[in-house]
Amino acid sequence: MDRLPDIRNRALAASRLCRRCDPASLPFATTDELEDLPQVLGQGRAVSAIEFGVGIGHEGYNLFAMGPEGIGRHTIVRRYLERQTPRRDTPADWCYVFNFETPHRPRALELPAGQAAGFRQDMAQLVEDLRSGIPAAFESDEYRARQHEIEGEFNERQEQAISTIGEHAREQGIALVRTPAGFGFAPRGGDGVMKPEEFQKLPEPEQKRLGDAIGVLQEELERALHEVPKWRREAQRKLRDLNRQVTHTAVDGLIEELRAKYAVLPAVKAYLAGVQEDVLDHAEVFRQPKDGEQPTLFGLPMPLPETGESFLRRYRVNVLIEHGGADGAPIVYEDHPTHDNLVGRIEHIAQMGALVTDFTLIKAGSLHRANGGYLILDALKVLSHPLAWEALKRALHSREIRTESLGQALSLVSTSSLEPEPIPLDVKVVLVGQRLLYFLMHAYDPEFGELFKVAVDFEEDMPRADGSDLLYARMIATLARHNRLRPLDRGAVARMIEHGARDAGDAGKLSLQMRDVSDLLKESSYCAEQAGSGVVRAEDVQRAIDARVSRADRVRDRLQEAILRGTLLIDTEGARAGQVNGLAVTQLGGFTFGIPHRITARVRLGSGKVVDIERESELGGPIHSKGVLILSGFLAGRYAPNRPLSLAASLVFEQSYGGVEGDSASSAELYALLSALADAPLNQSLAVTGSVNQHGEVQAIGGVNEKIEGFFDICQARGLTGGQGVLIPASNVKHLMLRHDVVAAVAAGRFHVYPIATVDDGIEILTGMTAGSRDATGQFPAGTVNHRVERRLTGFADRARAARPGEQAGRRRPFGRRA
Amino acid sequence: MKIRRVIVDLDPVPQSRAVIEAAVALAGHWEVELVGLFVENIDLLHFAGLPFAAEVGTALASRRALNVASMERLLRARARAAEQTLASIAGRAAVRWTFRVARGSAAVELLAAAADADLVIANVELVEAREVPVRVRVIRAEDADALRAALEAEPEGIVVLAGKDAARVGRTLRRLAAR
Repeated sequence: MDRLPDIRNRALAASRLCRRCDPASLPFATTDELEDLPQVLGQGRAVSAIEFGVGIGHEGYNLFAMGPEGIGRHTIVRRYLERQTPRRDTPADWCYVFNFETPHRPRALELPAGQAAGFRQDMAQLVEDLRSGIPAAFESDEYRARQHEIEGEFNERQEQAISTIGEHAREQGIALVRTPAGFGFAPRGGDGVMKPEEFQKLPEPEQKRLGDAIGVLQEELERALHEVPKWRREAQRKLRDLNRQVTHTAVDGLIEELRAKYAVLPAVKAYLAGVQEDVLDHAEVFRQPKDGEQPTLFGLPMPLPETGESFLRRYRVNVLIEHGGADGAPIVYEDHPTHDNLVGRIEHIAQMGALVTDFTLIKAGSLHRANGGYLILDALKVLSHPLAWEALKRALHSREIRTESLGQALSLVSTSSLEPEPIPLDVKVVLVGQRLLYFLMHAYDPEFGELFKVAVDFEEDMPRADGSDLLYARMIATLARHNRLRPLDRGAVARMIEHGARDAGDAGKLSLQMRDVSDLLKESSYCAEQAGSGVVRAEDVQRAIDARVSRADRVRDRLQEAILRGTLLIDTEGARAGQVNGLAVTQLGGFTFGIPHRITARVRLGSGKVVDIERESELGGPIHSKGVLILSGFLAGRYAPNRPLSLAASLVFEQSYGGVEGDSASSAELYALLSALADAPLNQSLAVTGSVNQHGEVQAIGGVNEKIEGFFDICQARGLTGGQGVLIPASNVKHLMLRHDVVAAVAAGRFHVYPIATVDDGIEILTGMTAGSRDATGQFPAGTVNHRVERRLTGFADRARAARPGEQAGRRRPFGRRA
Repeated sequence: MKIRRVIVDLDPVPQSRAVIEAAVALAGHWEVELVGLFVENIDLLHFAGLPFAAEVGTALASRRALNVASMERLLRARARAAEQTLASIAGRAAVRWTFRVARGSAAVELLAAAADADLVIANVELVEAREVPVRVRVIRAEDADALRAALEAEPEGIVVLAGKDAARVGRTLRRLAAR
């Protein structure tokens, strides 16, 4: 057997396992000496997108700020918008007022910023003034005289008509009798009406004469009374004209004052003209009844259209939005973007068991509040509220805000409601959401791309180049100051920077997860406070990190315990063929950890199929299955190019019951398979991660730090032997930001990390044997792993051929026909 | 001024409402009994007994035949309405009141009532033309000074003629009561 020299010299040096930040390289003692960082760190692309989106004035250039949670999307967007607002004009105030032509369509009035409240006040005052001014005008002697004149004229006309008939009657010896509901005629007798007995005593011709005469008089009276309603109408018209004239005089002066005040606003002027006409038409509402008497006309109570107070609501001003005292454009964040909260709502009040509404019950939505400025919304919240997204799109498309209830929008409610005049919309909307949402919306909603043309894509990390450590330190200083935390000394900053790189999962990057950085700062400051330190030191940061891990690692502890107690079978010493330690990474509630898994392979003669037990049992995901299929390709391509691959192999993650996904174990599976085929035992003190391609090259995987630490923890618990270590893809070396204890163990030679570029490198380290490459004759040198694999596969192929006699005897004819 | 009883003419009700209110106020002020008098006009019953009796309604301007029974029903209904009105107004003011129905000529009945009361408030016209009993003085409500003088001199057998403007009469009488 071709044995290798000590493989440990292939391991990485401790210095390559973690890119430290040297506190001495930081030119300050504590973060108090550092100035605030004015710019946003590492988000150049996003920031220029925001600047572009905010600056461009055309339609559809709304922004979608995308990126994972905690990057600081809201903060950054808000900060840039706040810089913009003073440069823009304060938007106008908007009111809803009664529409005198079509009452169900309230009119929207635009007033210069800060004037709406004054206008509302002015209108309230006007109504008050009218309520005293109009009754005063009707109290005047002139009015009374003219009113009596009109009433007198009507009464006279009526009485004259009746008395003329009465006169005719008297001439014929007939009396006009006033009955409870009208008039009648009867022969006169003495002072009053002739008694019936006396009438019976009259001669028959006289009786007949009287009867005929009364009949004629009745007809005459009928004709006269027919005219009465006409005369009454005429008198009423005259009285109305008089009322109008009187009201006019009272109203003109009062409204003229307001008109002059709002002369520069044509819409308000037109509204005031409407008010004037309406007041003239409904002057009686302003005439308060005196002493409980209802105003009467000819002794009959006069009908009032509605009782005073509720009728006078029509002259109110509903200030929908006002910007009094504001300076520049508004920035509104709507954290509950329902349909109604976006476009406003029309409230109802219960009246006699029915729900009624009017223009004073229209309430503003966030689009109203943000009009003329910026509206920030969470995309997911908008999408998760029924019809909110549709309403937002409709408003942005039509560039106007149309307030209607959901029931109306869905045509579900048929009760009469309001259709307020739409308000012109000029707003820049910033949706904040995950990238996935942006891509999904872009793909599935054709209008989305049209309305949200500016993608603001936030980075999760930034390159850790020269000078970036100092910038990161300034960012930490800024965050600490803004959160009113203790300052950090340079050691603490260095530890924070290292944690930033570890969080980014890359020694060459720094995480921009601002929420995470900010949280760690708060926790570190707390630890410093507990320790009685005025500044946060490196050990405080470390304690905060450790505390964080210990709060979250219950599951990891249980798994490690299961391994250490031998429930989960993981060997960390010895050697065994067809068995290797794979490494899996698990994420639970934001905590990521690695844990070793035993992977085994069994081989026998078969039809060239590598069975992935995970896949067969539906515990393996598609990427895992892909990894296993690649193994077949590699085996066939390298060892059996000219023969059928007569192998039946099975691969399994032992004691895995929760499903496996990803191809990061494919190199481990291949090592187990090769070991089984070559019957070469694998070193169990090593664990393996990395995916492999059909040419046997080992490729990068994710979570390399957690995986190494996962195996290290088990080995350390059992006692480090100096022979233990982990094989990682060489392309993952740049991602290494290992824990200090792991680095220390490596530095002391008690643990090793091997960078692997090809399967041959890996199998050599695992078996301690040479892998071997084909010589000039195309053969693997005897004694090498590859040679043993090939020999085994060739043997399988030969036996397979031997097991099929038909092929040796020649081709069989189909269906048994013979020549 | 010593008033013991006030009589108020209750017909016709809609017009006399203000007068009734004023009478109630007066009776309340003087703490005397108020009598509501409804006179069933005998002329109307005579009229209804004639063979061609018919009423031309002012509102509908059309004829409808009448007989004694229907006229009596009408008058009874009006009397009931008058009593209810009096009850509701006087009830609110907590005034001692009674209601009486008489049949005859309104003028005659009211003048006759004046013999038995100190102040009669009448809605009828032309009382002056009749033969007025010696002790009875007839004063028009518009003539507030004469009314006041009469009340102050010898408050007995005074008949106030309300006239057409019931509201105005009401105000005059209330002012009188307030003194």
